[in-house]
Amino acid sequence: MTKLRSMISAGALALAIGAPALVTAPSAAFAKGILRLAQTQDLVSLDPIATSDNASIYAQLLIFDTLLRPSKDATKLEPGLAESWKVSDDGMTYSFKLREAKFSDGTPVTAADVAFSLKRAGSDASSWKRFFSGIETIDTPDDRTVVLKLKKVFTPLLNNLALFSSAILPQKAFEAAGDKFFDKPIGSGPFTVAAWNKGQGLSLKKNANYWQAGKPDLDGAELMVIPEGNSRVLKLQAGEVDAAIDIPLNQLQALGRDGKIKTAVANVFRTDFVLMNTKKKPFDDLRVRQALNYAVDKEGLLKALLYGTGKVSNSPMPPMAYADPDLKPHAHDIAKAKALLAEAGYKDGFKTSLLVDSGRPLHRQLGQALQAALKQIGVTADIRLVEGGTHWTTTKSGDYEMAVAYATSDTIDPDQLVGFLLVNPERANAYHTEWKSDRVNELYEKERVTADGPERGKMFQEIIKLAHDGAPSVFLFYPGTSYAYRNNVEGFEVLPTSNFRLEDVKLK
Amino acid sequence: MLIYIVKRLAQLVPVLFGITLACFLLLRALPGDPATLLLGARGGPEEIALMKQRLGLDLPLWRQYLLFLADIGSGSLGRSVVHARPVMQLVLERLPATLWLVAYSTVLAVAMTVPLALWSAMRRGGPVDLAIKLAFTIVIAMPSFWLGLIFVILFAIWLPLFPTSGYGDDLLSRLHHTTLPALVIALATASLTIRSLRSAILAVLGSDYVTTARAKGAGTGRLMGVHVLPNALISSISVLGAHTSWVIGGTVVIETVFALPGLGSLFVESIFSRDYPLIQGLTIVFAVLVVLINLATDLAYALADPRIRLE
Repeated sequence: MTKLRSMISAGALALAIGAPALVTAPSAAFAKGILRLAQTQDLVSLDPIATSDNASIYAQLLIFDTLLRPSKDATKLEPGLAESWKVSDDGMTYSFKLREAKFSDGTPVTAADVAFSLKRAGSDASSWKRFFSGIETIDTPDDRTVVLKLKKVFTPLLNNLALFSSAILPQKAFEAAGDKFFDKPIGSGPFTVAAWNKGQGLSLKKNANYWQAGKPDLDGAELMVIPEGNSRVLKLQAGEVDAAIDIPLNQLQALGRDGKIKTAVANVFRTDFVLMNTKKKPFDDLRVRQALNYAVDKEGLLKALLYGTGKVSNSPMPPMAYADPDLKPHAHDIAKAKALLAEAGYKDGFKTSLLVDSGRPLHRQLGQALQAALKQIGVTADIRLVEGGTHWTTTKSGDYEMAVAYATSDTIDPDQLVGFLLVNPERANAYHTEWKSDRVNELYEKERVTADGPERGKMFQEIIKLAHDGAPSVFLFYPGTSYAYRNNVEGFEVLPTSNFRLEDVKLK
Repeated sequence: MLIYIVKRLAQLVPVLFGITLACFLLLRALPGDPATLLLGARGGPEEIALMKQRLGLDLPLWRQYLLFLADIGSGSLGRSVVHARPVMQLVLERLPATLWLVAYSTVLAVAMTVPLALWSAMRRGGPVDLAIKLAFTIVIAMPSFWLGLIFVILFAIWLPLFPTSGYGDDLLSRLHHTTLPALVIALATASLTIRSLRSAILAVLGSDYVTTARAKGAGTGRLMGVHVLPNALISSISVLGAHTSWVIGGTVVIETVFALPGLGSLFVESIFSRDYPLIQGLTIVFAVLVVLINLATDLAYALADPRIRLE
């Protein structure tokens, strides 16, 4: 799919740039209070514990609430359905005080609903079971209080409770509806489902029982599926949608030029890099891995591939909580790269291969740019272009030398990504690089049982510094998420967690 | 005739059987499985094993195949891994858009083909013939997404006659929404059928009975309508039939550009996520549709040319 899209994008560039000047006024045929938002994909399921794609997650976050949620700037947790919470001094007991809130069918949100939802999220049927496995018991001393007791101290738990998979469902309505519940789910979030036309989009209407007074301002929202980037741009220009996510970067500037459309690039928790298989020669040698980090002109990649958006990365981790602002990226230094290679015994370079997912247009371009960059230090990389499923399976089985890849974070806490990208042994063995640092493993264990605060922050900073020096991958950049909206839209933004909160959006 | 149709439909059974087996085995030979891909970064060995067990992927292959056949027998075509719903339900949601696009574009293609081919043949070598030839050579040389986007810019932005994309809710709005995509497909089809119909007409025009009819004083209308067209249509019908079969599953690009909820994009997505039941189910649906279109093509022969007897 993405393969086709990129073909299409490449082909239509010139056309779309020519178009903005000739746009007609938006039609007034639609109700004023309904925001029409173009997305790339249709959602798959509204069940928060089913394995979720982004479109599903974003929609679930509009329909359901969680006990706590990330603040808009994604730096801390703020109250959701829980108006306050307390963690015991030993870190083993979490108590939540629920606010007076109602589900969209008018029934109150009770502690029993919370217990039911969290148990479901931690059951075998849940794709997200691992996030809840640390909970020993869930008690409900009264209708407004929920108490979690843990098996052992597990600091990332609060963040996991702010995850979409921890959405609170109405137990009675769920049990009455059975399998059909998620066709038209009932939640306590700002919106509720009006209709879901599969393959076309999701119609949401305002939840009149929403607990935040006066919100949402919108009567509803249409999350429309427009898979092709140029089509999203054209729809935005024609006034057939009010906002669109994922604007082809080559059109971003031209789109904002006529003054009717505003564009932006959100800094989301995403990081792109080149994995190096440290089990294979020459990538078992730290100096080689460092050399490659010096060899790539990352600023140049931003300019050429991301049209100046995004940021150069200093480590495999995106800048999130506790990030060290003083940790500088590897400089572009060919001489140093060559010296390091020579020191490692590869004075004349070496031959290797670079695995690239053919379904990601950005990575296909990246593959070629990297090939050229490595050539300068005598490294010849053959590009192995494979489709996404094969890419994942190949890196997982360790049958690769270098692979272009990326990672995103579901939570605002670095724990999840650190576990995936840097810890070995863990579920991915440092994202299949097999890179291993005993100190990182030790800090990871410690960080998870240390209360949130500067001390835990220092641990993350040390982990990330170790990763920076140990170079399990060639760190490239943090690309943003581009989006655009018409001037009549107020308050629409893509958050660092990649989703959007429509309860704050107004239409003029 | 009826016996013929029944016979042809009965032939579907071994065809489908072969398709199920080939599709099943080819899928298992692909790297990657749905459980691993679905869990992605979250999947530790424990989670993947649990998911495989839930999906029945831990069973021996022959048992998985038998379960697949049982799913076909039950009419549900199995349960999609990604969507967690019966495949048949997913197909039925997407099928109308695909069939609509097939029907609409075929009608448009025929409506373009017959008059343009006639015109071209009658003015053989003249400016009209050359202009039609040139125009459709350009069309066939243009990738359909490109043509689609040009149409959107021309007829939805500059001259706002049609919406840029979408499917529409009722019949009228559906016609309105899908005219541009249907036109893009129809132009691709017509660029083939016009050529074939034109040369068939020219061949027929050279035959003795046309000379006879002319000698008897038949006017151009009668000559073309009664003597030439029916005899010339056969080859174009087979070209049209083959092209229509392609439209069933091959319009992913058009579906993507015009945001239409058809089967093509569902199929491509299912392959990327290795959604075995969905891929298998869709393959069967496509096979049935293609066989049915071929059957309709053969029936159309008999209608166009009474000399053809179907047995």
